[in-house]
Amino acid sequence: MPSPPRRESECYLDVQGLRKTFIDKKRKVEAIKDISFSVAEGEMVGFLGPNGAGKTTTIKSILGLVKPDSGTVTVDGIDCARNHREAMKQMAAVLEGARNTYWRLTVWENIRFFAGIHGVSATKEKDYFEYLLEVLKLQDKRNTEVRNLSSGYKQKTAVACALAKKTPLVFLDEPTLGLDVESSYELRAALRSLQSEEERTIVVSSHDMKVIQDVCDRVIIISGGRIVTDESIDGLLSLFRTRNYRIVISQNTNMQHAESLLAEINSGFPQAEISETPNTIEIAVDFKNPFEIYELIETLRKSGAPIESITQEQVDLERAFLEIVRRENGLCG
Amino acid sequence: MWLIALKASWRQTFTLAMRYLFNFFSAVITMYIVFLLMFYGVRAVGAGALDLGGTLEGLFTGYIIWMIVLVGYQDLAYNVASEAQTGTLEQLYLSPVGYKWLAFFSQSLNSLLNLAMISVITAIMMFTTGQKLNLDMLSILPVFIAVYIQACGLGFALAGLALIFKRIQSFFQIVTFGVIGLFMIPWASFPWAKYLPFTMGQHLLQEIMMKGMKITQAPAGHLTVFAAVTVVYLGAGLGLFALAENKAKAMGLLGQY
Repeated sequence: MPSPPRRESECYLDVQGLRKTFIDKKRKVEAIKDISFSVAEGEMVGFLGPNGAGKTTTIKSILGLVKPDSGTVTVDGIDCARNHREAMKQMAAVLEGARNTYWRLTVWENIRFFAGIHGVSATKEKDYFEYLLEVLKLQDKRNTEVRNLSSGYKQKTAVACALAKKTPLVFLDEPTLGLDVESSYELRAALRSLQSEEERTIVVSSHDMKVIQDVCDRVIIISGGRIVTDESIDGLLSLFRTRNYRIVISQNTNMQHAESLLAEINSGFPQAEISETPNTIEIAVDFKNPFEIYELIETLRKSGAPIESITQEQVDLERAFLEIVRRENGLCG
Repeated sequence: MWLIALKASWRQTFTLAMRYLFNFFSAVITMYIVFLLMFYGVRAVGAGALDLGGTLEGLFTGYIIWMIVLVGYQDLAYNVASEAQTGTLEQLYLSPVGYKWLAFFSQSLNSLLNLAMISVITAIMMFTTGQKLNLDMLSILPVFIAVYIQACGLGFALAGLALIFKRIQSFFQIVTFGVIGLFMIPWASFPWAKYLPFTMGQHLLQEIMMKGMKITQAPAGHLTVFAAVTVVYLGAGLGLFALAENKAKAMGLLGQY
């Protein structure tokens, strides 16, 4: 499949010192305060933040839909303020809360139109448009007017229209908002597939942590108009990864007296939480160092306690995000 | 890029016009009915009641100009309001071609559709009322086009207001009646009126359609003023639109409705 042109520069999108204050009924509202970040070519970056954090204002400022008070945005080395037209050739977007498409046009007519006003010829790129329909599972809806589609298909049509412009940089602001689980999953799968095949630079803003964790390499967390975290997803999760383990043992006749075992665990691992059922004992423990787990296993082995299962508590992006935002609000508040 | 964008814009404008065909025909019927009411009303009270050339032919030409002005500015201004309300306006602003050019592309096709519509209405009007007018298209078309461009100037200015205030349909109604007021200003008493939009166009059209004048026979001074007024009002409209666009971007209003 045809790919958008590859670029030379390592840093594809560079945002420096972006600020925007709105005046609402004579009250100043600082929507974004000194936002700076860069995105490398071919990277898929997630934008996370609570409501009103400044995600959409940041994206719209980059796209030139909102005029920032200060700051610079360069895309592939092009200054967006000085050379807006050239910069716009590099960018496309699906924007939150907007319809993004014409409801009285069919899916195909919308794709043709939005690609066309970006200078992409429908005649030359027909195969690519067909490919987008296939990846986004829109072939059957090709000649259906958008007003007659479900919200999932409408959203996928908006994404298809943005991708049909073949721009190297794409912004997707809340692409899965209002979608059911299946549609959201399909869209995520399509984004992963498109990104791996075309190596486009994609910025996804979402409330849905699963979307970000599923499709992005890196996450930028915005809170109160500021960037509070800019990390790779793996790096961020490792920061919050704990040594929380849950060990289940069964109480059988081969085991020494359970009471003496529990006493031994309590003295060796005072932080452990123990719960008992008639057949099992569950030990939840946050080990202080990576070697403590061996000590506990050795204690269990000596007592003859049969281990049923050992599980490590998994940290997901949602927990990391909540932790960061709470910490940030605590600091600010 | 420009040619592809122009083609895409024309295709979209035409497809949407076909999807809203009922709206097109209802506009034709409404304009025709309004004309009939005015025509028979004026005939009943006497043509001198309106200063539209003092005759029923004057009413004809005045009405034709009014239709051109109406469709000229309403398409532009209503489109901005409607695109903002449906949420597609921001997507148009993402085009490297720029919204102003996309509006112009769409308007250029709309102008053909509208002129076709006005020609049909005029033909029906002439047929049903039995009025005869000089239809020298070589002389009429340049006047039509220039008046349409003046109307686009007004349209861009109103579109700018729509960018900021969104729902200004009530204001459009006021402007519509204001335009009728422009046509009623008697030239003899107010010579400065020729510098207002549409008035010189109406005068030239009356001379062509009622008195059989050719555009080349019009006084050079009149043609110069007409051309200057066309350029100035289009420029002013575009300027106001650019100011409103900046304001809307500064206030983050483009995506709001």
